[in-house]
Amino acid sequence: MLIECHDLNYQYPSSSTQVFQGLSCRISGPGFHALFGPSGVGKTTLAKMIAGLVKGFSGEINVKAKAGILYTYNLERLPGWSLVGEHLKEISPPAKTKHLQNLTESFGIEECLKTRFSRLSLGQQNRTNLTRYLLQDFDLLIMDESLANVDETTRETIILKIKRMFPQKAFLYISHNVVEVAKFCKDILVLRDVIKSPQITTIKGQDHTGEQPPDRRSLEQIMLEIVHAS
Amino acid sequence: MLHRRIYQFLIVYATGICILFLIKFALNLSDYVIPSPKEVWITAGQVFIRYLVNVMDTLAVAVIGHILSIFMATLVGIIGRLTSGVGSLIKIAAFNIQAYPIVALAPIIFILLGDGLASRLLIASMICYFPLLLSVLGVLTEPVSDIEHFYRMTGRLTWQLEVKIRVFENIAKLTTVVSGSATLAMVGTIVAEFIAADAGIGYTIRIALYQSDLAKILVALFLIGIWTSLYLVCLEWLGHLIQKKWQR
Repeated sequence: MLIECHDLNYQYPSSSTQVFQGLSCRISGPGFHALFGPSGVGKTTLAKMIAGLVKGFSGEINVKAKAGILYTYNLERLPGWSLVGEHLKEISPPAKTKHLQNLTESFGIEECLKTRFSRLSLGQQNRTNLTRYLLQDFDLLIMDESLANVDETTRETIILKIKRMFPQKAFLYISHNVVEVAKFCKDILVLRDVIKSPQITTIKGQDHTGEQPPDRRSLEQIMLEIVHAS
Repeated sequence: MLHRRIYQFLIVYATGICILFLIKFALNLSDYVIPSPKEVWITAGQVFIRYLVNVMDTLAVAVIGHILSIFMATLVGIIGRLTSGVGSLIKIAAFNIQAYPIVALAPIIFILLGDGLASRLLIASMICYFPLLLSVLGVLTEPVSDIEHFYRMTGRLTWQLEVKIRVFENIAKLTTVVSGSATLAMVGTIVAEFIAADAGIGYTIRIALYQSDLAKILVALFLIGIWTSLYLVCLEWLGHLIQKKWQR
């Protein structure tokens, strides 16, 4: 899986403000990649451009992905006419039934299966939504604050589980949590305001897999680099 | 639901009648202008069954016209959401036509189709069709992004699923619109009957108007109100049933 963005320029149709000016970046290989930056710098816009949901920009985005790119965000809802379990079964390919069982157990949403989505807590809604995306075929899954309402401990468990279950897949994790991106991601794309140059820089993260305790010193160093870059 | 609707109508009707009698007694008007309560009661006894049959006739035409409008609005709404160009064109056309008082076209319809069932049905349908179409188009062309996104991303979003999502998310709004347009269908039918039909309660009111018989008109209004309320209750109950079944 390879995504190369070259010289991207974009401004919102209804606004005269430039969002990206000559932005170039690269995401390659499986694993957790992060897109980090303050609110309003265009993280979601860039993610949507990569996923093909935003058009009308100049520059090039080259994608080498067989199964495709999926984009998910934390405000998505499941249709209200079916129970969570019914919906998950309906959208799961037959070959992924085991995955479904495994994910519902690991994400702690077993008790949600016989409930309607609207009755779940926001954290449960986030986990349920992410589960259905993980059951699809993809090369890159863009997670736009997909676990924003999940508590920190559960979020860590989920990220480690995803890393173990999908070692061949790539993830672009959009988050405002500097500790999390420094600890779990292998490449951190730090996006900055359009007036700063370069607008995006890449920092190597710790890519923690949970097998060994994280090195605190190196983690602090990475966090400092991210904060300086942003 | 039934009680509430009937009570509401009875309160409005009784208030209207009281104001009428107050005017009569305050201005000392003769029974020829505003009949006495006793005369209204006697007239009700004489014409009740006949007027009931007439109201049922009008209601039947209104219901058929209403169903036709719902069917047409749904069909055009589904077609309208296919492309933004077609949708916009239909929306603008419906908005402009809706702004025109359709009832003014009734004489043309009577000239072309005569004063039979077809004219009454067409006018009833036309009067409630455009407001219905605008609402249905509004619902069906407005994406429910937070639900549709997953299906769109995974290539599962068929037009049937898209319509299902949008209808489900707006079922309460659609039920209200359908109930609201039922009154319009009834108004359309009665107006058509006023103008040139040879049947229905509108036609009966026209005859009573020629005779300057306010007592008969008051009885007719009572029956129209009761039966329109019953029809609205039926629609609200159906909407409630659909919502309940869908949301279990």
